Amino acid sequence: MGRSGAGKTSMRSLIFANYSAHDTRRLGATIDVEHSTVQFMGDMSLNIWDCGGQHKYLDNYMNEQKENIFGNVEVLIYVFDLETANKDSEYTLYDECINNLGKYSRDAKVYTLVHKMDKIPEADLKEAKLDMYRRALAKRSDLFMPEVFGTSIWDNTLFHAWSQIVRRLVPSMSTIERHLERFQKLTEAAEVVLFERATFLVVCSINSDKGAGSNKYMIVSQAIKTYRNRCTAIQSALQSFEIRNRDFSLFIEPFTKSTFILVITTDPEIEPAVTKANIKAAQPHFQDKLLI
Amino acid sequence: DITQNKDEDSLAERRVLLMGMPRSGKTSILAVIFDNMQPYDTLSMLPTVQRGTYRMSMGITVYDFPGIDDYSETQYNNLSPSVYEGEHASLVYVIDSQGDIQTSLSTMYSIIRMAQSVNPDIPINIFLNKVDGLSEELRQDIQQDVQNRVMKTMTYESLNSTFVQFFLTTIFDESIKEALSRVVRRLVPKYNSLETILNSFCSKSSLDKAFLFDISTKVFLATDSSPTDSLMYMFACHTLEAIQDIVAICAGYTAMGEEEAGLQKTVVGMDGSFKIYVYQVNSYSVLLCLNTMLIARQDSLIEYNGSKIAKAIRQILR
Ligand SMILES: Nc1nc2c(ncn2[C@@H]2O[C@H](COP(=O)(O)OP(=O)(O)OP(=O)(O)O)[C@@H](O)[C@H]2O)c(=O)[nH]1
Ligand SMILES: Nc1nc2c(ncn2[C@@H]2O[C@H](COP(=O)(O)OP(=O)(O)O)[C@@H](O)[C@H]2O)c(=O)[nH]1
Ligand SMILES: [Mg+2]
Repeated sequence: MGRSGAGKTSMRSLIFANYSAHDTRRLGATIDVEHSTVQFMGDMSLNIWDCGGQHKYLDNYMNEQKENIFGNVEVLIYVFDLETANKDSEYTLYDECINNLGKYSRDAKVYTLVHKMDKIPEADLKEAKLDMYRRALAKRSDLFMPEVFGTSIWDNTLFHAWSQIVRRLVPSMSTIERHLERFQKLTEAAEVVLFERATFLVVCSINSDKGAGSNKYMIVSQAIKTYRNRCTAIQSALQSFEIRNRDFSLFIEPFTKSTFILVITTDPEIEPAVTKANIKAAQPHFQDKLLI
Repeated sequence: DITQNKDEDSLAERRVLLMGMPRSGKTSILAVIFDNMQPYDTLSMLPTVQRGTYRMSMGITVYDFPGIDDYSETQYNNLSPSVYEGEHASLVYVIDSQGDIQTSLSTMYSIIRMAQSVNPDIPINIFLNKVDGLSEELRQDIQQDVQNRVMKTMTYESLNSTFVQFFLTTIFDESIKEALSRVVRRLVPKYNSLETILNSFCSKSSLDKAFLFDISTKVFLATDSSPTDSLMYMFACHTLEAIQDIVAICAGYTAMGEEEAGLQKTVVGMDGSFKIYVYQVNSYSVLLCLNTMLIARQDSLIEYNGSKIAKAIRQILR
């Protein structure tokens, strides 16, 4: 949800349809609701409703269509355009969504994306802007306690937000996490990351240095997605990466039927061939036991 | 990397001179190649008033000259003919192929006359720039047309046309880097030895293609003598970019210092039997090889040979 021009279709096209940021200039306004279904992490299918934000549609959503639109919602992603001139009417729309969600899908999770952050170059001003939204939204969201992300199609913040949103939809996440942690211990790897195959969103990451967040893997997400698109020009598809120097070895390999794995080792005693064999050996376990 | 310099005597020995009419795209070209500027961001570029300097590896330097409107005495009074001197100088003349080509060409002849009066053998590279948005057919027509006109005029004016080359370029794809690569190869020290080594590596390891890349600009400094397919070159550039992005997350693990110990090696696996091998040669260059029809047992052989070739190249460049 969000006003027309906020960037909803752009972000959907970037994450789920191999668009580049430049390609989004070709998008027209969304007519009514565009439904799409994407397979995610094996057995999951995400039903995405991209709701066109022009007035005539919004009225309809809040009136005749409200049960249809707001019933059975698991996640509401509300997109704010940072540059909206009329903040009051923006919040009015947001309030209406929250009200209806409270009536028809009380257990839904709400995320708000403050979008087009690239228009504010300075990091501290970005933070201030987000804080402002956080405060305003905390007051008006009742039981939903929305999480607020700053995003832009021009950097990896969008991948970060969507990774966070989507991984919480995976029911077996804590099991996957546990198994991945065991894999990391057994292989003595410094870092292990699971990426979803189609979107390359980060599903789960284990880092021996606990302080480091998963944010840095978004660079990899974006690099691989871009590279995969570019590979189509030579009619080939990317399989794997293996980067080595004296200090580390990095592997990116197809893992289960719905994931890729990234493994970084920093111990020079560990032979690359052994790491690769370990990845192969763990694959059936993850695929058959965790069904991913 | 850009520094302003008025002193003509201090031009580097191995140099590329970028000239052309205002707004033909010279500064944009260099900003995209050397400063990683996004092509769209060049739209707000201001006119160049002072010569800009862009340094590449191997002592090769590219000079960005202010745009020349028409070649009058006043505008070029302060440009010493010595900029064209020496056997390692190369002239690039940039033409806006969607602009006034005729005017641009007449200015070019004045420059060529001056350049050849001090250096008859100076290579002349004509970049037909801004071909984005033009159909393939139109591009070919423009190149044919300009080529015919230039050759006719140069013959008529008894100018030396032996070292004239034409390129279709745009900052929106890798064509501009490929063109600069072909300009630069004549300035690369020991180019012949490099080419020989790459040829023998390709034939011994049955590789399709090998490039020696300048890491920061992705201009190739040398390649084997098989024909260079633009699509392959573009793909090689994209592969290097992907590697650079991915490896950035390992920055914390690499100790700075001793150059050779930190050298990096990458294997990228594609569908079927297609692999790309990348060996870092030194701090500023990598060897990238493509093998599209890999036979399983070749794999370890290429890895072994590749490291040896990278070392040999490192020694040649020392
Ligand atoms: N469409 C298109 N535009 C280009 C290309 N290269 C440059 N331009 C545009 O052309 C305009 C002028 O480019 P500049 O690089 O400033 O031209 P210049 O020759 O250095 O100009 P002077 O400094 O006055 O000599 C900019 O708006 C660029 O974005 C290209 O390959 N395609
Ligand atoms: N500067 C900037 N523009 C964006 C961003 N995301 C989308 N846009 C632009 O905003 C316009 C409207 O986007 P669109 O996705 O069609 O909006 P929608 O009506 O909400 O579906 C398009 O021209 C996009 O290119 C962003 O992160 N930064
Ligand atoms: Mg839309």
